[in-house]
Amino acid sequence: MKSKLIIAIAAMGVTVLFSSCQKVPQAEIDAATAAIQSVKDAGADLYVPEAYQALVDSMKSANEKVEVAKAKWFPNYTKAKNLLVYVSQAAVDTKAKSEARKVELKAEVDALIVEVKALNEGNKALIAKAPRGKEGREALEAIKSDVAVAETTVTEVEGLLANGDLLGSDSKIKAAKEKATSIKAELEEAIAKKGGKK
Amino acid sequence: MMILRKQKRIRWIILILLSVVFVTMTICVIIVSQIKLPTDDLRLAREAMTAAKEAEANVYSESLYKESGRLYDSAMLNWARENSKFILFRDYTRVINFAKDSKKKAEEAEEESIKKASNLSKDVEAAFVSLGKKIELYDKLFKNLPLSKSVFDAHNKSKMFLSESKIAHENGKLKDAEILFKKADIYVNHANNAASKMLRDYFSDYNYWRKLANDAIAASRGENKVILVDKVAHILYVYQSGKAIRSFEVEFGPNWMAHKEYAGDRATPEGNYHILSKKAGGSTGYHKAMMLDYPNAEDRARFAQKKRQGTISRRTGIGNLIEIHGNGGRGFDWTSGCVGMKDRDIDDLYRLVGSGTRVTIVGSIEPLAVITKGFDF
Repeated sequence: MKSKLIIAIAAMGVTVLFSSCQKVPQAEIDAATAAIQSVKDAGADLYVPEAYQALVDSMKSANEKVEVAKAKWFPNYTKAKNLLVYVSQAAVDTKAKSEARKVELKAEVDALIVEVKALNEGNKALIAKAPRGKEGREALEAIKSDVAVAETTVTEVEGLLANGDLLGSDSKIKAAKEKATSIKAELEEAIAKKGGKK
Repeated sequence: MMILRKQKRIRWIILILLSVVFVTMTICVIIVSQIKLPTDDLRLAREAMTAAKEAEANVYSESLYKESGRLYDSAMLNWARENSKFILFRDYTRVINFAKDSKKKAEEAEEESIKKASNLSKDVEAAFVSLGKKIELYDKLFKNLPLSKSVFDAHNKSKMFLSESKIAHENGKLKDAEILFKKADIYVNHANNAASKMLRDYFSDYNYWRKLANDAIAASRGENKVILVDKVAHILYVYQSGKAIRSFEVEFGPNWMAHKEYAGDRATPEGNYHILSKKAGGSTGYHKAMMLDYPNAEDRARFAQKKRQGTISRRTGIGNLIEIHGNGGRGFDWTSGCVGMKDRDIDDLYRLVGSGTRVTIVGSIEPLAVITKGFDF
């Protein structure tokens, strides 16, 4: 009778022992991994690099927590699970931030394109008013070439924008704006000089 | 009796077994507690990698940073492998070693990245200065030369890439800045090399010009007035008694940096000429004008020779009607090869010189070294 009791107690102990062994939170790991990949695909590593890096770091920390739990007699994945859930949620936020930054950047580039196009058109009009002789059209070739470079840059920026390269188009359009503004100043100075001579 | 003895034996066996289990469990717990987990090492490696990434080691120390990442991944893989073994047989030594190596590489990557970024920043800044000087050289020496469109374009593109490079530098994107300034450098070198070659080639006639100028100045001795035109300086001098008594700014044709060879080449001739006639009022559309005797005998001989050589087409004429005239002061070279002056200047010159006055036109009175004052090209 006593031996039966001892066997029953031992069996219960084994049951308790195995029931306290949790399973690896594979679903959460897979979800967090997929969320990070989706964030990367959205270009977060380019547009919100700090937030993206924090996410990657958290994921690594979560993986370490999984292994820490695995290393124990009685694995408990609660901490790892919580962190993985957090990573999945943070990934959604980071993706939203990245998308917002892209929209903001695109609006900025679009506005700059409009501005530079207007500057280029204005510069062409100024070239028409710039001092010239009846035979001297060639003399303005240098400035025309400058305007042409600024126009080509706008076309290149539009191409980059179409390919989704917002960062590349941003720095290029800023340079084009600088160029178009300097041409405008040069032409206005030449016209003012001509006006002063009259 | 037998049953009692048997029960007693069973009890002893159970007791011994439980004791063995207890002792074994205790030993296992002691052994397991002695096993050092790689948790801290991996955390430190991860933190070192994050610090390296913040220092842009992925850009400036790519191989070390990647190596650090590979070692970290190996550590994690080995940790998972060890964890899959029975608890008493786990050995995290390799995991710890991988993590420590990963941390070391990440720290090296961070250090190298900071150093390289600093050096690159200095290089980029130095390149901006150097490019700025090249662009300044073009603007000061070459901008007004009658250069081809491809040279203008190259110069303008170089300025555009320089602007982009500066923007990238301001945004801390040194690698991008480096790529862009290299592009700018290629274009600016192309423009400056083409322009400097043109200038050097043009100045190959300097000794001839110097002789023409000296002869003109010598001819002004006595009371004779002589006009000496310096094309590079864009200045017309009036010499008398060997001294310049007046000087005026002048403009030429867009292709002024060449000797006039044929009609329509928009070049201003170089050589000795004379004022044939003076025009004012309705006889000229340029306020006042003084017609020169272009082509002279030398021009005709050169023209005939070039025709014979086939470098000038048979149907092309030598050109004529080269004048010193008004309507100038436009700030650029616009005539068809004539010498353009401001109206008030041509008024003065008109009063100062008469028909028959010698007009010597040279590329430059000063040698190239003086023209390029201090610019190394």
